[in-house]
Amino acid sequence: MLKFLKHVGDYTKEAVHAAKYIGQGLSVTFDHMQRRPVTVQYPYEKLIPSERYRGRIHFEFDKCISCEVCVRVCPINLPVVDWEFNKESKKKQLKHYSIDFGVCIFCANCIEYCPTNCLSATEEYELAAYDRHELNYDSVAMGRLPYKVTDDPMVQPMREFAYLPKGVSDPHDLPEHARRAGLRPEEILENAHKN
Amino acid sequence: MNPGIDLQASFIEFFRGVGLPGDIAKVLWLPLPMLVVLVGATIGVLVTTWLERKISAAAQQRIGPEYMGPFGVLVPVADGLKLLFKEDIVPAKSDPLLFTLGPVLVVVPVFLSFLIVPFGQNLLIADLGVGIFLWIALSSIAPIGLLMAGYASNNKYSLLGGLRAAAQSISYEIPLALCVLAIAMMSNSLSTLDIVEQQSGYGVLGWNVWRQPVGFIIFWIAALAECERLPFDLPEAEEELVAGYQTEYSGMKFGLFYLGSYVNLVLSALFVAILYLGGWEFPVSIDFLTGLLGVSETTPWLQVITASIGITMVILKAYFLVFLAVLMRWTVPRVRIDQLLDLGWKFLLPVSLVNLLLTAALKLAFPIWFGG
Repeated sequence: MLKFLKHVGDYTKEAVHAAKYIGQGLSVTFDHMQRRPVTVQYPYEKLIPSERYRGRIHFEFDKCISCEVCVRVCPINLPVVDWEFNKESKKKQLKHYSIDFGVCIFCANCIEYCPTNCLSATEEYELAAYDRHELNYDSVAMGRLPYKVTDDPMVQPMREFAYLPKGVSDPHDLPEHARRAGLRPEEILENAHKN
Repeated sequence: MNPGIDLQASFIEFFRGVGLPGDIAKVLWLPLPMLVVLVGATIGVLVTTWLERKISAAAQQRIGPEYMGPFGVLVPVADGLKLLFKEDIVPAKSDPLLFTLGPVLVVVPVFLSFLIVPFGQNLLIADLGVGIFLWIALSSIAPIGLLMAGYASNNKYSLLGGLRAAAQSISYEIPLALCVLAIAMMSNSLSTLDIVEQQSGYGVLGWNVWRQPVGFIIFWIAALAECERLPFDLPEAEEELVAGYQTEYSGMKFGLFYLGSYVNLVLSALFVAILYLGGWEFPVSIDFLTGLLGVSETTPWLQVITASIGITMVILKAYFLVFLAVLMRWTVPRVRIDQLLDLGWKFLLPVSLVNLLLTAALKLAFPIWFGG
């Protein structure tokens, strides 16, 4: 009889614990309901990409010396460098350059190793196309600069999390010149010179 | 007791005055409340799906539907229209008759149960003597429809989902019925009107939650399981069974399942409101308030106000419970099938039995408080 009562007691205790935990869980979800949404309403609001963002690659035709380093460092030898040896100037003359962004993984190795800095990463990430062949950008397409989010009158630019003031996690309704948390790059440099 | 507004009597009286016999006037009256309840239930579903999206979004710190009409209220309409215009596919190797009959058997009993949902003293379709028992009986038809749909689809996932639905409904029907039995014992009647009547007079303090706290919780858990709401949505667990018995359904047949599940949720919430939260009673007794103001109970404008407050109270209470169900969905993970049956047979059933016995004992001991 005592054993049975102990069983019943344990069972009740377990049930009460379970109810307590469910109550705690409910209070967590209920608390989240009154917080501001963290989502960015995409076509109307866009995040400002950070300066280290590796988006679509920009290419400057005139700087290229057709050395093909970009092809060698690319994990899949993706850039197509079409050149011809010019006998008069005894230099390689670039005829055509292209990268297929449907295949590119945006590792930016080519940018890192380009000896003349003719490759650079832009902040463009909206590369959707109806046909995957349209993603094969030639030198002309790669020479275009993307439209900046901050310049677009249709778009409300939102700061990324790392660019928000200390303790703020919501990019909406920030004061105009709210400073980001931590030191700015200029200040870090200044401090480095002082010491 | 003040009978409040009796629309049926006044309607029949009006047509008698015009010169029609009373029977024909009654026949004319009959379709009206049915239509109102049918439309009301459907609108209730639309509101519930919208609420589900909005509350889910809020719980996950999203906004939810925003651009389809003000605050996205047109989303359920778009949903319904989409399902209406979709191709109605019957799989080649299925049993076409049973495949069509399945969703019908699921939806019709749920809508039929609205027969006994009272929104006021005279604001219900039929005051049946068996009342709440009718709901218990009708709600056991739905698993047959689910099983039928699962079996007729000729699909393993559908069959498993249908079987699970049947097992779940059978094991949760019993604690549900036992809780209702405890209530019926206290109010000496199965009629929903009498059950609300018995809770009236003392405002919040008179509601059955205080006398049946255990029954309230068990009833709500069992009702969630009956509706296949998220902690108990095993029959359509998408990670395990694709969509359970709904896998092969599309178009309006799927729409019927969808509609049925939400109507069932609203209906269960309504029954919790009626059985435990005082139905159409205002938190403060209206009789008491009118007594304070010195207004006669039979004043026409007061009756209109009382009736509208009653309807609002029922709907408010029901939607509070719907809100709880949605919040529960994002709080509690889905239980496994063995945990589900464990909970049903080894916890809810004995506890509800003890609750029933305790209610009986208390009724004998304190007949004043427990409806002697």
